[in-house]
Amino acid sequence: MSERALRSALAGVAAFAVGYLLPGTLQLPSLLYDPAARLAFVGRVPSGVVMRYYGDLLIACAAGLAAAAAVWKLQPRQPPLAIAAGSALSLVALDLAFYLSRLLVGV
Amino acid sequence: MTVIFEGAARALLIAHAVLGFTAVFASTHHAAHAVLATLGSRQTRALDRFAWIAPLAVVAQALFGLALYPTYRVRVRAAVLERSAPAVVQWFDFKEHLAALSLALVIGAALAGRGMAPETPRDQRWPVAALSCTGAAFLWAAALIGLYVTARQPLP
Repeated sequence: MSERALRSALAGVAAFAVGYLLPGTLQLPSLLYDPAARLAFVGRVPSGVVMRYYGDLLIACAAGLAAAAAVWKLQPRQPPLAIAAGSALSLVALDLAFYLSRLLVGV
Repeated sequence: MTVIFEGAARALLIAHAVLGFTAVFASTHHAAHAVLATLGSRQTRALDRFAWIAPLAVVAQALFGLALYPTYRVRVRAAVLERSAPAVVQWFDFKEHLAALSLALVIGAALAGRGMAPETPRDQRWPVAALSCTGAAFLWAAALIGLYVTARQPLP
């Protein structure tokens, strides 16, 4: 295994976590899909059966791939691996805490 | 009104479940081997093997789940659960978030863990185990919540 691959994976996971959380939380424009009308469009707030999961997932995947590719290409030696890993896992934990809080409020 | 892939929803659900448990067990294997490798045991072949099985299974089950989602949204969530069991809707939403995060974690751990050996510096071994264990735990939770939601309200 290589440090380069690990740093790239950690950057990808961190960017995915940010890219997945922010668009929905801040209600940024995203791809929405209306399964009843079978219509995809760009919007902010879904209503009724309209879904924004596909759009948020697309944004997160794009952010994760872009970050992983950038780190793979640039090959940074900083920050130390422990900090990079801790940051990536903290961002995942932030997502988990946010969605868990919404679950607990709803339930 | 016809929802996309509605005609194949049951077949999609079965494939999603089978691939989902394949993903759960493959990622659990990867996590176990990553932990053993972190502790100094040679797990290179097993990690390389599960480095393609786990991500492939996770991506495949996610694609079937995404194809099934519109039918769930209209025929299960909007038609039944939002009125009769809103808490179950919240659990399903939580499951979807866990599944999304596990996608990045499992793929990241698999790519980073390829070729990991006892000679690999320790500071490079434990992040792989952490990513892999977190991804596997999220997949387990998502699978169990998915089973619960399907048991509460199956497809019509």
